[in-house]
Amino acid sequence: MTEKWTNRILLLVALALAALYLFPLYWMYVTSLKTGSEIFATPPGMVPTNPQWGVFAYVWELRGMGRFLWNSAIIASGTMALTAILGTGCAYVLARYRNIWIDVALFLVLMLQVLPASLMITPLFVGFSQFGLLNHPQLAVILAVTAKVMPFFVVLVRATFMSVPGELEEAALVDGNSRIGAFWFIVLPLARNGILVSAILIFMQAFGEFVYSKSIIQAVELQPASVGLNAFMGPNTTEWNNIMAYATIYVTPILAIFVILQRRIVSGLTSGALK
Amino acid sequence: MNRLLSGLRDGKGFDIVLVTVPLLFLFALSGLPLIYNVVMSFQEVDMFSLGTFARPWVGFNNYIAVFSQPETWPIMRNTLVFVVVSIAGQFAIGFGLALFFTLKFPGASYIRGLFLASWVMPGLVVGAIWNWILAGDFGVLNYILKSLGIISENIFWRSDTAWSLWGVVIANIWNGVAFNMILLAVGLAGIPRDLYEAAALDGATAWQRFWTITLPMMRSTIGAVISLGLIFTLQQFDLFAAITSGGPANSSNVAQYWAWEQSFRQYDFAKGSTISVVMIAVVLVASIIYVRSTRHEVRG
Repeated sequence: MTEKWTNRILLLVALALAALYLFPLYWMYVTSLKTGSEIFATPPGMVPTNPQWGVFAYVWELRGMGRFLWNSAIIASGTMALTAILGTGCAYVLARYRNIWIDVALFLVLMLQVLPASLMITPLFVGFSQFGLLNHPQLAVILAVTAKVMPFFVVLVRATFMSVPGELEEAALVDGNSRIGAFWFIVLPLARNGILVSAILIFMQAFGEFVYSKSIIQAVELQPASVGLNAFMGPNTTEWNNIMAYATIYVTPILAIFVILQRRIVSGLTSGALK
Repeated sequence: MNRLLSGLRDGKGFDIVLVTVPLLFLFALSGLPLIYNVVMSFQEVDMFSLGTFARPWVGFNNYIAVFSQPETWPIMRNTLVFVVVSIAGQFAIGFGLALFFTLKFPGASYIRGLFLASWVMPGLVVGAIWNWILAGDFGVLNYILKSLGIISENIFWRSDTAWSLWGVVIANIWNGVAFNMILLAVGLAGIPRDLYEAAALDGATAWQRFWTITLPMMRSTIGAVISLGLIFTLQQFDLFAAITSGGPANSSNVAQYWAWEQSFRQYDFAKGSTISVVMIAVVLVASIIYVRSTRHEVRG
């Protein structure tokens, strides 16, 4: 067998594995387009016979998805901005120096990364209620989610800063730049891509955040789309086509960003996550 | 004052500001809650004493109460099953896929990347999709299993106490496979090719090469991936909220969901924080193992 044919067969197997793995995603899209009676057909149809394209506008209106997605976007943008502002400098210092204090700080940051949100929410909620932060529930969620995701951001961005040669910064200092100038004009632009990709990853995580929002935000008009989806799925629900349409509207923008940036996301993830 | 300012702009002061502000933020929103959690686990906390710091101290009563409840041990057993089976499943499938994708063929790295779609999706969306796939009468999983002849009767994944935990386990394995695969692929890429060539020249079979080269060379990666798996599995909350809500009758409840339920469904914050303290201790031990196993990696 020639190499060309081996490659083709391997490619076919890879595509088959990917199709098998991503079947749940396919099933979400297909179900959303089926009619109310078609979803309960036996055997289930793999393609919708009469695609209901109107379902998306219907569910958007029915559940008030515009508001939910807007709230998700506010929480995700706030989290991303706060994380990037606080985390970038931290990652830079942790990448530039090697001594015992840096190791201790890095260890603490890694440790904070692992605390499960559903366990941290109890003390956070009680603390927030004592400091009156529950009156600003979206801000409270942004603060809590930022504390949760910042360690991950620091680890990823630190790996990026480590690939920026220190000599460039020293040269800038010799040329008369201040530390701030060298950081702002030399180091940051060189690390821009890594920071951007990590920030987008943080945005995507915060966009889907659930535990903190569910526990902290009581007012429906302030809740994000994840809480809205949870409320849509009652225990005895039968409107699966509508629920899958909701899920489709919610997840498609995230998947689009992911497919566009896939290569960068994968390489950013692999360079940072294991170090 | 001037020296302070120029230090901020030019000297160590710059670095110290950059690193202290975020660390103080993390301390305020992760460190303090951690301590507060332990404090609350020794207090009586309910809706009425929520707003005050002066709550009655009860010693170890919360711990005694939690561990003498009849549902505690079944839930702990569920947590153990959930963690062990999820990690084993994610690791085995992820490792298999990682090995397959190390075969160099055009498009391999792009298709491998597509798998990560499962990882970027919101947990609630993953939960909603699996909730529908696992549905008893009309779920597509039952249909597939029946057409393959594996089962003859529909399994009621969400409402049968014997199966509810396994439904969530299946969804969680699906969710985590891609992440395992990517991390393991990084480890595999780090093994020098010439080791395999030398072994092949010496007449080692593929099976022997796997056991004598791949596995030993992957030891620290495998350690890191499994402890990361443990950490992420103990963080899994969304799938429980979306698929079974821990039910029916706690048959699919696990510690991290139970802790939340105690606080936000029963409003028994003391009990919620007691369970949290116990589970956080478990997570911290796991992450110490993780940090130790990654320390041997090459820092780049």
